[in-house]
Amino acid sequence: MTISIDNIVTVRRVKLLDNDAEHSIIIRDGIIESIQPDSQAADESDSVVIDAQNQYAVPGLCDLYARLREPGLTRKGSIASESHAALAAGFTKVLCSPDTQPAIDSVATVQLIRQRAEAAQGAHILPIAALTVGLAGEQLSELATLQAAGCPAASQADIPLSNTNVLFSAMEYAASFSLPLFMTARDSQLGAGGCAHAGAMATRLGLPGIPVAAETVALARLLEVCRETDCRLHISRVSSARALHMISAAKLASLPVTCDVGLHHLFFTDDQLAGYDASFNSEVPFRSIADRDALRQGLYDGTIDAICTDHAPHDRDASLAPFPATEPGLAAYHWALPLILQLPELVGLSLRDVFDKLSSAPKSIIDGSLSSGLEVGKAAEFFLLSKESPVAAMEASLESAGTNHPLNVHGAEALGLKPLLGKASHAFLHARLHTL
Amino acid sequence: MSLPDPQFNALGELHHFIDIDGLDKSLLTQILDTAEGFAGVNDRTIKKVPLLRGKTVANLFFENSTRTRTAFELAAIRLSADILNVDLVTSSTKKGESLLDTLHVLEALQCDMFVVRHGDSGAAHFIARHVSPSINIINGGDGQHSHPTQGMLDMFTIRRHKGDFSNLCVVIIGDIRHSRVARSDISALVKLGAGEVRVVGPRTLIPADVESLGVTIYPTLEKALIGADVIMGLRLQKERMATATVPSSGEFYRTYGLTPARLALAKPDALIMHPGPTNRGVEIAGSVADGKQSVILEQVTYGIAVRMAIMSIVMGNATNLRRAQS
Repeated sequence: MTISIDNIVTVRRVKLLDNDAEHSIIIRDGIIESIQPDSQAADESDSVVIDAQNQYAVPGLCDLYARLREPGLTRKGSIASESHAALAAGFTKVLCSPDTQPAIDSVATVQLIRQRAEAAQGAHILPIAALTVGLAGEQLSELATLQAAGCPAASQADIPLSNTNVLFSAMEYAASFSLPLFMTARDSQLGAGGCAHAGAMATRLGLPGIPVAAETVALARLLEVCRETDCRLHISRVSSARALHMISAAKLASLPVTCDVGLHHLFFTDDQLAGYDASFNSEVPFRSIADRDALRQGLYDGTIDAICTDHAPHDRDASLAPFPATEPGLAAYHWALPLILQLPELVGLSLRDVFDKLSSAPKSIIDGSLSSGLEVGKAAEFFLLSKESPVAAMEASLESAGTNHPLNVHGAEALGLKPLLGKASHAFLHARLHTL
Repeated sequence: MSLPDPQFNALGELHHFIDIDGLDKSLLTQILDTAEGFAGVNDRTIKKVPLLRGKTVANLFFENSTRTRTAFELAAIRLSADILNVDLVTSSTKKGESLLDTLHVLEALQCDMFVVRHGDSGAAHFIARHVSPSINIINGGDGQHSHPTQGMLDMFTIRRHKGDFSNLCVVIIGDIRHSRVARSDISALVKLGAGEVRVVGPRTLIPADVESLGVTIYPTLEKALIGADVIMGLRLQKERMATATVPSSGEFYRTYGLTPARLALAKPDALIMHPGPTNRGVEIAGSVADGKQSVILEQVTYGIAVRMAIMSIVMGNATNLRRAQS
């Protein structure tokens, strides 16, 4: 249920991530009027009151990479379905991948997405521009125009850019408009046709492998072009320890580089492909345990700036084929919060620091001036989190797309995880209160 | 952690035969022992036993094959089954039908057993997980993953000549990376307790972390052959030259071809094996392939008995299951 906040909402007895004392948050006309200890708060007479005992107010999360599947692939998901799934997971902002059909290479497509997102009243959707027309890797899209139309970044999605001339030119051109490029490091030829990390598991299963060098070779090229063009470069979805070393060195050399990791890459490894488990088929492959552990360390030490969901909803048919013929990707939102809540223990960060990797950090990558969403005097953009609420597996059905996730197949314990808890109950966004 | 092995039925018996990796030594030994019993059938005047009478076996080959399909066909015939060859290479899949839909159509024809060959690794697992429980699946080769009947007939051939596996040094030469035969052989040899399994070939043909399968990589064929009891060649496909994996068949032969001079480095009674088709002058010298140590044609013959064993065990288990459930 969604209601417009045209007067006052008071959230009572809510905890903050860095303060376990009960607080009261008053929102008037969508703007946060006060955040104060609950004992000092008095109910406004005409206020809608939410009793948020045992809940936390968390700044709205910002997803740097998700696929909404619309336009063009609506059998897998739609702007409406996925923007609501995002909001239910605490994501108030979602940067959507340009690999739609058509790709997001024109203002018309940007406007279509924005209009449908506004009508859907789910998370705030920010379309990522396709770096090249049709993502074909040849002609640059009208990047300045797309930026003016509301694209905060440009990307080649999962399609590697084989032509270094085009890459160089794209980075020079984007630098002219301070437009960040979101690039996934994947060589166009090395590991092409691969569907699993080139390691012991791929060898055992006879699956064509994607070597770590397919990432590092492409990354070296991106970093060197970045060094020369001074383009703001964001490496999307790092997957290996060696790639992290290179990014760390680039940051030390003061290159304008940031990076993120896919949420699931902090949990899963190629070991999980045993028995051809297609629920673990990921475009950016799950690599070795050592790589997974390096990603956790990179998150801890700050080499990794942010976490994205890499959300990729699919229809049921997408996984009904032998492993190499299944479509890669995990539908992330349903299980995102319970997984995020396990990260503090696995990574060694506080819950607040983990949420920073999902809110303030990604926001600063796209726009340094964005508010956290939980600041007095600013628009309310936060959600209420019940850390202890259990989450049930999604029922697979022909009607509901996007149940492609290992946790809908396996129990938490089978995947070496603790019980999966954590739900958002309410979200504030765009002067609206969403009951989730 | 991982998905359950689809090979076993509710009684824990072999229901589908798709991957040696999930089977234990005693089951492999049972298959070899059963095959010994069938090996005699081929020598009889009437080359038939009635074990699968009234059953229908369908060969579902999504990839071209002559020898494997023929061997399965003969095995089914000698077990008195009716056999149906379905050519799927040029059929429905080319018209865009999904594998699952094709499978369901064939299920509706009410066969008892599918022998499946498919170009995707994991296809046999996928089919086994989705097929009706009344149908047994035998993997006739899936992608680069597994060719378990070939693996078992290779073990049968080795056992016939060498008896015990524990002291054997087995060398597998060539394209391990793309070979489902190599994976099944390695898996079977390791489970049966072979003394040492060596792989040798250019690094372009050796898959990542292959040692994790229980083998040792040898740098040169000459070194690998010293002390070898069994030498297994693998077919080098022509497309390997087109993908810059190997410069030429000539260079491959010069570096990894099994020549008489190299063969002399192995034990004098070393067996020469090859799953076929052999490329003479690429993987193996004609004189070695035809020489007295070669058991390449024996492999083909034993393939029938081994496939009869596997088909009859699986079908027998299906009968056990039906009895238990009724």
